[in-house]
Amino acid sequence: MTTVDDVTHPARTGPATRVAAPRPRWRRHAGSVVKYAVLALGAALMILPFADMFVGALRGPADVYANPPRYLPSDPQWGVYARVFRELPMTTWFANSVIVTCIITACQVATSTMAGYALAKYRFAGASPLFRLVVGAQMFPFFLFIIPIFFILRFAPLMGGNDIAGQGGAGLLGTYAALCLPFVVTWYGVFLMRQFFLGIPDDLLEAARLDGASEYRIFRSIMLPLVKPAIATLTLFSFVYHWNEFIWTMTVTRAAPDLQTLPVGIYLLSGAFQTLDQKSLQQAALAVSILPVIVVFLMLQRLFVASNFASGVK
Amino acid sequence: MRSRDFDPGGGGAAPWVFVSPLIAFALIFFVVPLGFSVYLSFTRWNPLGTPSWVGLKQFEYLLTRDDAFWRSVGNTFVFAFGFVALGVPLSLGLAFVFSRSRGKAVWRSIYYLPQLTNIVAIAYLWQFVLDDRYGIINRALGLTGLRGPDWLTDPVMAMVSVVLVMIWYDAGKNMLVFSAALEAVDSEIYDAATLDGAGAWRTLRSVTLPMIRPAFIFVTITSFITGMGFFALILAMTGGGPRGATEVTALYTYTMAFEDLRMGRASAGALILFVIIGVLSLLQFRALRERERRT
Repeated sequence: MTTVDDVTHPARTGPATRVAAPRPRWRRHAGSVVKYAVLALGAALMILPFADMFVGALRGPADVYANPPRYLPSDPQWGVYARVFRELPMTTWFANSVIVTCIITACQVATSTMAGYALAKYRFAGASPLFRLVVGAQMFPFFLFIIPIFFILRFAPLMGGNDIAGQGGAGLLGTYAALCLPFVVTWYGVFLMRQFFLGIPDDLLEAARLDGASEYRIFRSIMLPLVKPAIATLTLFSFVYHWNEFIWTMTVTRAAPDLQTLPVGIYLLSGAFQTLDQKSLQQAALAVSILPVIVVFLMLQRLFVASNFASGVK
Repeated sequence: MRSRDFDPGGGGAAPWVFVSPLIAFALIFFVVPLGFSVYLSFTRWNPLGTPSWVGLKQFEYLLTRDDAFWRSVGNTFVFAFGFVALGVPLSLGLAFVFSRSRGKAVWRSIYYLPQLTNIVAIAYLWQFVLDDRYGIINRALGLTGLRGPDWLTDPVMAMVSVVLVMIWYDAGKNMLVFSAALEAVDSEIYDAATLDGAGAWRTLRSVTLPMIRPAFIFVTITSFITGMGFFALILAMTGGGPRGATEVTALYTYTMAFEDLRMGRASAGALILFVIIGVLSLLQFRALRERERRT
């Protein structure tokens, strides 16, 4: 940390400090202590509910029925993590979460790279209206689409026992398609990929064309490898978002337990966790629902630079 | 971008092939649903039968006779404004300390943890922490002899709790947006301000804040839109209770649709909320831009 930094960064100093001269060492020191104290306090608050969950999962009946009930488990029940898989349909939920998240993420990466590439690199009649659509559609909140999309899937013609008019069967409800289709394109993803493709020089495209490569070949073999970092970013965002998606999945799988994902299953079963010693089972199930995302995040974290957040700002 | 300008270098049908999934999706999952939604809002429809046209009756009922709807709109405002008014300055403050700290990777991971967590887990984790009797907070208060509030069973405290949890959930993300903006400010501007004899407070007001205003507008408006339409947390944490105290409009219309099976009225409610959000976002955007021009 240089002296210039210390003097010029305003957040450190109070309103009283009006001089531009370097402050005495003890004051700089105090500023630093305050800074890390604030960050540490915030971090403690961020971690508190998670720590509470891990501790709670390990409590046994002896702890919760003690008078007064004990906070720290006297005899940590590590077996609770095996119990959640034995006593709850955890394997089904987990498998569904993996399947749905992977399908959606793969679709979003495919559709976003294709559309983003076309919008960035071709001048065609659709480019301008489609780009405006992609930007504008992001303004529409999801709650607006829940009812209509539910019935579009319900009345999908010729699907799930429906006739050509969409009557008679259950349509796509009760299938993986109902969970995935409404998310196969992401406006944000198209926007993100377009911004990345804009940064790639046109010369590459022209050179490949002169060499006789087809448009699709150029996209697959030249352009895609160049935007790998953006693809990784989008993969991470999609994975996290759809692993955690709750409202839509619950709406379409309420009556289809075989299709429920982790958050939905845990939510719809919450009535079963009423007694005190079942709470630890619920806490363990929640821990299992959280861990995969954290693992993926830590694996891909180096891709996750702060600048990604700025892309939407400008 | 010029729209009628075909690329002479070729491309042909290729761009259309590349955007075909986007176009199909935009039709089936954007244009048609919006139209269907507007149509439904003029009907009465229990999905077992067929929709019957009732004109503006659903809007009229919601706006003039449904007290629960207006209460939900009030709750939505309290939730969204509480979230923005407390959450945005907090994230900005955190960004100031975060952007000049060491060990950024560690801090970032910790503050981003809630964003990685599914909303059901967040709701339940906080239910455990805030439990009136067995939660860690009221236990800790109990040790000091204080009786903690009924976080989730008292109507006022329940709203306070869901706002605080929402802030907790989003603080890390907004902190990273702000810190990206802060780091993008050229350090030479600070040097110049220092040379001109500007103090810290003056530098903050006249240099830093104006420089990050685009980020500030972005975070404020996106947080506002999120807060107005977000109901997953409230659904899982309080279910809208106690006695409707945390029932926001999006949750109200959702329950109306999928529990009471009033699709027409629920669509009308959702459209009203959407219009409210649209108008207020626009007004906010204007106001924030206006101030930018004056400074």
